[in-house]
Amino acid sequence: MELLSDFGLGLATALSWQNLLYCFLGVFLGTLVGVLPGLGPVATIAMLLPVTFTLGPAPAMIMLAGIYYGAQYGGSTTAILVNLPGESSSVVTALDGYQMARNGRAGPALGMAAIGSFIAGCIATLVLALFAPPLAEIALKFGPAEYFSMMTLGLVAAVVLASGSVLKAVAMVLLGILLGLVGTDVNSGQQRFTFGVAGLADGISFVALAMGLFGLADVILNLEHNEKRGVFGRIGSLLPSLSDLRKCAGSILRGTALGSVLGILPGGGALLASFAAYTLEKRVAKPPREFGQGDIRGVAAPESANNAGAQTSFIPLLTLGIPSNPTMALLIGALMIQGIQPGPQVMTERPELFWGLIASMLLGNLMLLVLNLPLIGLWVRLLTIPYKFLFNAILIFCAIGTYSVNNSATDIWLLLVFTAVGYVFIKLHCEPAPLVLGFILGPMMEENLRRALRISLGDPTVLVTRPLSAAFLVLSVLLLITMIAPSIRAKREAALQE
Amino acid sequence: MRSLAALACAALMTVTLPAAGQDYPSKPIRVLVPFAPGGVVDVTARLLTQKMSERLGWSFVVENRPGGNGFIAVTAAAKAAPDGHTLLMAHTGEFAGNPALFPDVPYELERDFKPITMVSDTPMLLVASKDAPFNTFAEVVAAAKEKPGTVGFSSPGNGSINHLAGEWLALQANVKLLHVPYKGGAPAAAAVAAGEVPLGVVAVPAVQTHLRTGRVKVIGLTTAQRTPYDKSWVTAAEGGIPGVDSSNWVGLFAPKGVPDAIVQKLYDEVKATLDNPEVRERFAQAGAVTGGMPPAEFLARIKTDAERYKEVVKKANVKPE
Repeated sequence: MELLSDFGLGLATALSWQNLLYCFLGVFLGTLVGVLPGLGPVATIAMLLPVTFTLGPAPAMIMLAGIYYGAQYGGSTTAILVNLPGESSSVVTALDGYQMARNGRAGPALGMAAIGSFIAGCIATLVLALFAPPLAEIALKFGPAEYFSMMTLGLVAAVVLASGSVLKAVAMVLLGILLGLVGTDVNSGQQRFTFGVAGLADGISFVALAMGLFGLADVILNLEHNEKRGVFGRIGSLLPSLSDLRKCAGSILRGTALGSVLGILPGGGALLASFAAYTLEKRVAKPPREFGQGDIRGVAAPESANNAGAQTSFIPLLTLGIPSNPTMALLIGALMIQGIQPGPQVMTERPELFWGLIASMLLGNLMLLVLNLPLIGLWVRLLTIPYKFLFNAILIFCAIGTYSVNNSATDIWLLLVFTAVGYVFIKLHCEPAPLVLGFILGPMMEENLRRALRISLGDPTVLVTRPLSAAFLVLSVLLLITMIAPSIRAKREAALQE
Repeated sequence: MRSLAALACAALMTVTLPAAGQDYPSKPIRVLVPFAPGGVVDVTARLLTQKMSERLGWSFVVENRPGGNGFIAVTAAAKAAPDGHTLLMAHTGEFAGNPALFPDVPYELERDFKPITMVSDTPMLLVASKDAPFNTFAEVVAAAKEKPGTVGFSSPGNGSINHLAGEWLALQANVKLLHVPYKGGAPAAAAVAAGEVPLGVVAVPAVQTHLRTGRVKVIGLTTAQRTPYDKSWVTAAEGGIPGVDSSNWVGLFAPKGVPDAIVQKLYDEVKATLDNPEVRERFAQAGAVTGGMPPAEFLARIKTDAERYKEVVKKANVKPE
């Protein structure tokens, strides 16, 4: 009952004219910056931060949060249409989404991404409203040993992301880890593999790597093959059919569940959400499975997971004051400028802010659905632009986006390098997705392993004596065995042939 | 019509071309920040520039150039046109920490910059997780003496001012602590709250939440003076470890070639903005004290700090960066 009255208070806050307007403004801006590759929510929120000084805390938070989860909606658009994942979460969406676009099913892919995101967003917001404090306790149970073991599991699972040879997938994961090690080592402060380039001191830019390997390498390939006709076949229906929806219901729910849980972990859980959802889907979805060739469930599951994670990542922020990603760190800054310390007392001392934010998330998700479904027609029509014009636009937006992340020209050079590397990978039939996961997880894994060992004074048994950590490691070993055992490997090949 | 208007504008512009100091600023002022958005330096820059533009109508652009231990942003500011339209917001680390840590810092304070003033000064705290078996500096020292090099303290990074402050405390107390670096202040504080590491050297904003929930307790300050934020916190000297004075200040800098008249004008305006009670209150809520000392005094303070950290780095053998 108390929850109902709290939620009523939240709705009353969120439904005020001013807050509705800021919520809409937030999700609208979020969608826009999400669509532009590279130009992410961090840059946008940073630019708008001074504007929020003059607003009250509630409208400020409502708008900034709207930008954040709005960008998650928009981020999938370029991934699906032109294979340009601007964020780690949309890398997975690009796998099947882009194939769907090439098969003339861009509309249903975009529609399913929006619908999956909407359902996931609503469910995850309810989770946030009901269980925020107890869930925050779980986040604190995750020490460096647990993070290391969880990421080990993630890397083993990354091999499943590839649809070709297992050996090549393993090689790509390892290469990704090596690339991830470039930059300043957290534990010793040593610079590694930077060759004295200041722009590399903080590592290789993710955006440059992902856009080069996926989007721009693909542009070269398209130019090679399709000088005359358009790259994309016919433009089919704009919305997913009823049978699509029925097929994806399970995927959306599984993705939501995984995303909600992983989003709570501040040390990189949300990053894993879409990867984990895709991997799970590939294992449990009913045949016929066409993952990698344009299976709509390969879009629905990661998109749901990603959006659910975006909502639940507010749990460590609002209850513990721990930011789970750079955007959340900015939101803490925004709250502090308003004179509010994020933490559990926000719920009791400023209930209108806490519940208003939660109610606005439900409204914002609805607005995003209404905003995004009609836009699909517009996006899909972009694909009918002759490729000789389209690819120029892609190049320009990629360059702008890559530069804007760190305002660094080095990143543009990296984009160029990774485009060339990506093209070679395509020719060698090496898939870049496992590399990207290795790139993201490798350095975090190393950081946590070394921290765990440092705290235990060099005793490696911490990894198996802590129950959660041991469980993850056992799962990793089991997964590894199923992949290596020859008979099962044959089965895997067969499963992929389907 | 339009060309006429353009001509008029051009004519007007030539008339108002700035004679040093007067008519400054003639375009938006770019403030370089060596950190990603959201950190203390970034928030300080945004708060200050916002309040200055409210007061004066000047426009500012805060530009984040994170990375490379601050080298990227600081070098860019040093090389910028010295017309006062590019400034640098930096903290203790760039000018007092880095020269002690790195053999080849690509900039030099007095060669490349004119300090304008300190904007804010935030004390750091030695904190412990609530179940840790110590409550005072003396008990921490006793525990560290019993098992040298095993009592861990978290910091926002290797070579961070917090790291150096922790080493400084250990040096003065004649003990050895185990440094456990994290990526930023919030994770370092969270590690103490979760009990991963028993101790942490953190700034007030990073740990406020955990103090309220009682997951973290304060051992004391790393500064020589108590803080108005909470007068009950003891200093390290009062706790039995004399000679430690380490805080995280944020200051505004101009490239060396900027005319003194402009530096003076900027100083006057920043000072006036910092004297605004509302601005003071905003900084106070984050545990910071507003600065505003004249440029010469600020320069002297930075040089003192640089000397002290150099000694800490040498004696504690902090490596490498």
